[in-house]
Amino acid sequence: MLVLASLVVALVLVHRPLGDYMYRVYTGPPGRERALYRLLGVRPDTEQPWPVYARAVLAFALVSVLVVYGLQRLQNWLILSLGFDAVPAPVAWNTAISFVTNTNWQSYAGENTMGHLVQMSALAVQNFVSAAVGMAVAVALVRGFTRRGSDTVGNFWADLIRGTVRILLPIAFVGALILAAAGVVQNFTAPHEVATIAGGTQHLTGGPIAGQEAIKELGTNGGGFYNTNSAHPFENPGPGTNWFEIFLLLLIPFSFPRTFGRMVGQPRQGHAIVAVMATLALLSVILTNVFELSGDATVPHAVGAAMEGKEVRFGVSDSATFAAATTLTSTGATNSAHDSFTPLGGMMTLLNMMLGEVAPGGTGSGLYGMLILAILTVFIAGLMVGRTPEYLGKRISAREIKLASLYFLVTPVLVLTGTGLAMANRSGLAAMHNTGPHGFSEILYAFTSAANNNGSAFAGITADTPWYEVALGLCMAFGRFLPIIFVLALAGSLAAQKPVPASAGTLPTHRPQFVGMVVGITVILVALTFLPALALGPLAEGIH
Amino acid sequence: MSPPGGLLDPRQLLSSLPDAAKKLNPLTLWRNPVMFIVEIGAVATTVLAILEPSFFAWAITAWLWLTALFANLAEAVAEGRGKAQAASLRAAKRDTTARMHESEAVINAADLRPGDLVVVEAGEIIPGDGDIVEGIASVDESAITGESAPVIRESGGDRSAVTGGTKVLSDRIVVRITQKPGESFIDRMIALVEGADRQKTPNEIALNILLAALTLIFLVATVTMQPMAIYAKRVNPGVPDSLALTADGVSGVVLISLLVCLIPTTIGALLSAIGIAGMDRLVQRNVLALSGRAVEAAGDVSTLLLDKTGTITLGNRQAAAFVPATGVSPDELAAAAQLASLADDTPEGRSIVVFAKEGFGLRERKITGAHWAPFTAQTRMSGVDVPDRQIRKGAASAVMSWVRQHGGHPGEQIKELVDGISASGGTPLVVGERVGGTSRVLGVIHLKDVVKQGMRERFAEMRRMGIRTIMITGDNPLTAKAIADEAGVDDFLAEATPEDKLKLIKKEQEGGRLVAMTGDGTNDAPALAQADVGVAMNTGTSAAKEAGNMVDLDSNPTKLIEIVEIGKQLLITRGALTTFSIANDIAKYFAIIPAIFAAVYPGLDALNVMRLASPQSAILAAVIFNAIIIVLLIPLALRGVRYRPSSAADLLARNLYRYGLGGVVAPFVGIKIIDLFVQHLPGIS
Amino acid sequence: MKRLPRWVRTHLAAVRAVAVLTLITGVLYPLVVMGVAQVLFPRQANGSLVEKNGRTVGSALVGQLFTGPDGKPIPGYFQSRPSADAYDMLSTTASNLGPEDVVDTLPAPGKTGTKSLLTQVCARSRSAGELEGVSGARPYCTSEGVGAVLKVFPNRVVSVNQPCPTTPFIPKYQGMVVECARPGEDYAAGRTVPVRGDIRNPAVPPDAVTASGSSLDPDISVEYARLQAPRIARERGLPLDRVHALIQDHTTGRTFGFIGEPAVQVLPLNLALDQAR
Repeated sequence: MLVLASLVVALVLVHRPLGDYMYRVYTGPPGRERALYRLLGVRPDTEQPWPVYARAVLAFALVSVLVVYGLQRLQNWLILSLGFDAVPAPVAWNTAISFVTNTNWQSYAGENTMGHLVQMSALAVQNFVSAAVGMAVAVALVRGFTRRGSDTVGNFWADLIRGTVRILLPIAFVGALILAAAGVVQNFTAPHEVATIAGGTQHLTGGPIAGQEAIKELGTNGGGFYNTNSAHPFENPGPGTNWFEIFLLLLIPFSFPRTFGRMVGQPRQGHAIVAVMATLALLSVILTNVFELSGDATVPHAVGAAMEGKEVRFGVSDSATFAAATTLTSTGATNSAHDSFTPLGGMMTLLNMMLGEVAPGGTGSGLYGMLILAILTVFIAGLMVGRTPEYLGKRISAREIKLASLYFLVTPVLVLTGTGLAMANRSGLAAMHNTGPHGFSEILYAFTSAANNNGSAFAGITADTPWYEVALGLCMAFGRFLPIIFVLALAGSLAAQKPVPASAGTLPTHRPQFVGMVVGITVILVALTFLPALALGPLAEGIH
Repeated sequence: MSPPGGLLDPRQLLSSLPDAAKKLNPLTLWRNPVMFIVEIGAVATTVLAILEPSFFAWAITAWLWLTALFANLAEAVAEGRGKAQAASLRAAKRDTTARMHESEAVINAADLRPGDLVVVEAGEIIPGDGDIVEGIASVDESAITGESAPVIRESGGDRSAVTGGTKVLSDRIVVRITQKPGESFIDRMIALVEGADRQKTPNEIALNILLAALTLIFLVATVTMQPMAIYAKRVNPGVPDSLALTADGVSGVVLISLLVCLIPTTIGALLSAIGIAGMDRLVQRNVLALSGRAVEAAGDVSTLLLDKTGTITLGNRQAAAFVPATGVSPDELAAAAQLASLADDTPEGRSIVVFAKEGFGLRERKITGAHWAPFTAQTRMSGVDVPDRQIRKGAASAVMSWVRQHGGHPGEQIKELVDGISASGGTPLVVGERVGGTSRVLGVIHLKDVVKQGMRERFAEMRRMGIRTIMITGDNPLTAKAIADEAGVDDFLAEATPEDKLKLIKKEQEGGRLVAMTGDGTNDAPALAQADVGVAMNTGTSAAKEAGNMVDLDSNPTKLIEIVEIGKQLLITRGALTTFSIANDIAKYFAIIPAIFAAVYPGLDALNVMRLASPQSAILAAVIFNAIIIVLLIPLALRGVRYRPSSAADLLARNLYRYGLGGVVAPFVGIKIIDLFVQHLPGIS
Repeated sequence: MKRLPRWVRTHLAAVRAVAVLTLITGVLYPLVVMGVAQVLFPRQANGSLVEKNGRTVGSALVGQLFTGPDGKPIPGYFQSRPSADAYDMLSTTASNLGPEDVVDTLPAPGKTGTKSLLTQVCARSRSAGELEGVSGARPYCTSEGVGAVLKVFPNRVVSVNQPCPTTPFIPKYQGMVVECARPGEDYAAGRTVPVRGDIRNPAVPPDAVTASGSSLDPDISVEYARLQAPRIARERGLPLDRVHALIQDHTTGRTFGFIGEPAVQVLPLNLALDQAR
């Protein structure tokens, strides 16, 4: 628990300066990135109405998907391909969507599929920009709250570039060097064989890992260089790097509410949002630890600890903490095999994603997801104080509720219909690695992870079949871009409003009371939506 | 009319049953998506029960139909309460004829056009809404206000409006018709109280969207459960089929039961009743909201414009002190003031006499040989001449110059007294006398506006609710400020003209505030129209009544405060029942999920925390609870959640505790109790 | 130039944005990181390679097998943890078996069997116990190293992981005689009942019977190392204290005293053994 405490302390110390810095980046004048705007042919101060902003987001995503897909399909022609073939079309499609949507679901094993160039210039690029897109959309939504009677929400290209080169790039650079110093590899070595001291042979590999590792965590992406992701010693060599990677993946999601608070001119509103995120996150991390440390299932009882799928250097507790953190954020990197977790420990990772990736969620996406929940809470609670609900001075009326409801609908519908379809057809069922309720959990996990853009897996599942590549690809795409469109529409609708001044009759949204309500409503809505599925998966397996 | 306080009479429920049954018509029910799904579910279980009859299936079917019926019952009861009032209004809307002015032609009242002039004499029914252009009459308006005492209506001024269907008791008036045919005030009232043209209010629409979204989620959750259940059954081939779960999945009846229990039926059933009841509560207070939107806006109001006179103060200035000049005793001044006012019939004059009696024990007396000097605009004073003595009271400058004229020398002290009283917001009346050749100022009467009792507390309450009160007055700023301070309003607008009012409203709205006001005069009309909640006094002009979105039949400006509270109560009731409805679902899951799946996964029986007797009894109990809770909450929906003015945070804490926590706990208790009964039914355990 | 329609301009901007950002984050960024890392921390940036006699024999960070060509443990070396994929860096994987994976599919004619995670654990425990000369008994394991799991039917009980003619680990369950499992027979309809048995405190530590998440775990627990120490001392003719000291030297403690778990780095330890003559 000292690990948890030290993470909390570190985040408390850092969130403020970083949040303030991001506030300055997104609201201040263009800095040294000015030259880039000229290269792009955009004027950063040209404000876009929300539909234009949304079209720019989608256009950028479309071009990104095509480029990532193309580079994979042309891999055999590229340098640094390590001799790997072109990536098969279904895998390439799924991977392109996966990285562009900040999901980083991987239906391939990096070490035997992707050459260094594809890893570094296709996949890792999306690690940066997909995170920056999430942040841009969140900033646009926050602008909706801050503007009065405006028909614009910002300029996407400016937000994208600023977020990438002024926030992500410098932090990732420092993070990459720290990781490299601690043993994370950064070279262009191709796989080669060495003779071991026992007289056998072993392949050693290398690659531009440190740089990719830093942004993988910082951008809450989670796509590992290797198949075993952050369990792999070259990605995560020791307990210290493990701590640092957890810290990196929590860093921006927990700092962004500060940026939000600054932008709306009321830092305490940011505190309330952080408090909601932190409450949910702490509960989850603690419960995951409790379940994993208690090791309550037959095999862990036989073993004496839930050590299957976990590394000795991390131990059970740090693995549980990493698992909780990676699913609470939309990261999806793993340092242990979630499939082999205790039933209830595994359920926590599922539940974390089912929360909608809001505690604290992905870079940017966590904030906008949480703001949607805050809006829903304000609506229900606001009625109970006898006023048309308002949040930050903006009325939550039919249009806002419609968009917030649509947002909220997307992922549960994707998760449940996807899982339901998979359970109802042969190709879906064939993917199970385990049997019984655990097999079902694998499929539920896959759709939950894809639709919520997490990307981690109950990795026993065989997802590199055409059926899953397509189904999960669609889940990732819809799970990412439908909410983004609704969020931007909401931003537009809020920006057009004139704010209502706060009074004693206004529901205060910065107090523990409100924090408690958002936590309660989030948990209840999620529990109500997913309880049947959870009952047939982890609960059936875990309660005896 | 329904009993006050909204108590629900069981007979009312019974008498509304036929109406409720009629509302089961899917063509009308589809407007309420939640209840529409319940009805589809009920139809489906009926079919299933016919195909595969069992006591359990029929019991579920019956209760699902009851659920839909109960939902309609709530609406029917709410509407039923308005019907009584509509009936009495209809009675007033008998076919009347109209006598045209000048031509004296008699035409059917229904053919009247705006601008027509009609003559109405004592004993006749006024044929349409309009303004009196000539004459004065006492009018019996009991048909619409329920108040039997006649009221005076006269041409010109702010009491010129008459309503069609009311009866002239005395005299003769000429009325200019202002209504269009079929759009009379009474027509609108009837439509309103019956809820015939009730349109969903913005918040209601928003809430409906949220409920539809929740319904959709639960629909998806239940439908997608089916393949998962089939799989669960298949990987446990040793488990025998149960009533709830077979190799084909969860049985249709059980699946539908689960769906109906999960979707927000409670609030879905009560939502429209809450809206109708909110309007009804206004009607009970003799306020007609001409749109539901206005009622809702009343809850959102953050600025109240209140006319000083009649709302904040009693309406007339009253003597509050006698301040004698040097060398004059208070008794002497009191006696002179009283004497000068004995014949003064103005409210101020009366108040001087009353004050002299209460403060100085001076009885009224009959004076013989007195000559009264009435107030005129030229002299600006009044008084009395008795033998050897003249007394005058009036505006300071007038009385002082009168004293000077007669050789007196009002000192600087008087000027100071006068200025002091003016500065404190009072009105100084100087009293002077002339005895023989000398004249002097006796002192000053301090007249002041008397703030109604309890207003200060009321405004403090408003402040806690986050509502700013602004007093509107024609007084000068000094006077206005004094009264504003005494009454405890947040701000005031002095020397207000109708334009000032309008400007103030626009300014407040510019800042995002919603404004409520009352008004009666024609010159209030623009402001009433601009305000978000404009309450016109029924005694006012038709222009005012047209411009506002509410009419107060009692013409009591203080009622604005009550209107705001009713608006808030309406929103709170919706929010509270939504919270309650969603919170209920937790217990229902704990009843139904183990009931379906404990057979295949025995561990899930741990979720059966209520220890319900059998899967069938658990599901039936949940369905019954789901239906009965609607009936149990109808009174609350109609009466509204209790509202005590307090800050938003306190309100929320209280309601959250009651309806959130209560909503979680109540169904656990309720389902358990129902289970204790239904488990004894045949085929249930 | 004629102004292009807006949707074309938007997509052109997108193309340029992808190109520019790829150049910055996909080419410049990794190359700069590489340049700096290679200059400042060349050893770490190249995989913390370890050498023996001037020849690279692996990475200090990556575990490897210390088994002979026959697949049997070389007794003079500390053994790594079990691996789901034989410490192959080209196909890293975890077992991904669930915590209730306790029923084996027995090999039958024309069908290969699969071992449940429980049976894998039991088997590893048994062989580790044999290798170190301690008891390999564990809860939920039979003495011959398979999962002690019953399938209970209304009128019969089968020990599913024990193929006939093995004697079931318990003779009776709830009054019914326990049968051995007949390969090929479908026991799915029975209720699965793992039987704990009365073993407390197994001698073989958890990490010795489980596969890691990476299949490359470079470490073993201190307990597992100390369990192996007597064998190493015996095989190498070293005093036990010396072996213990070497273990101590190659134990990485918790970072800052509270992060992670103490771990013994197997490859460096074995290299140290080779030098410690």
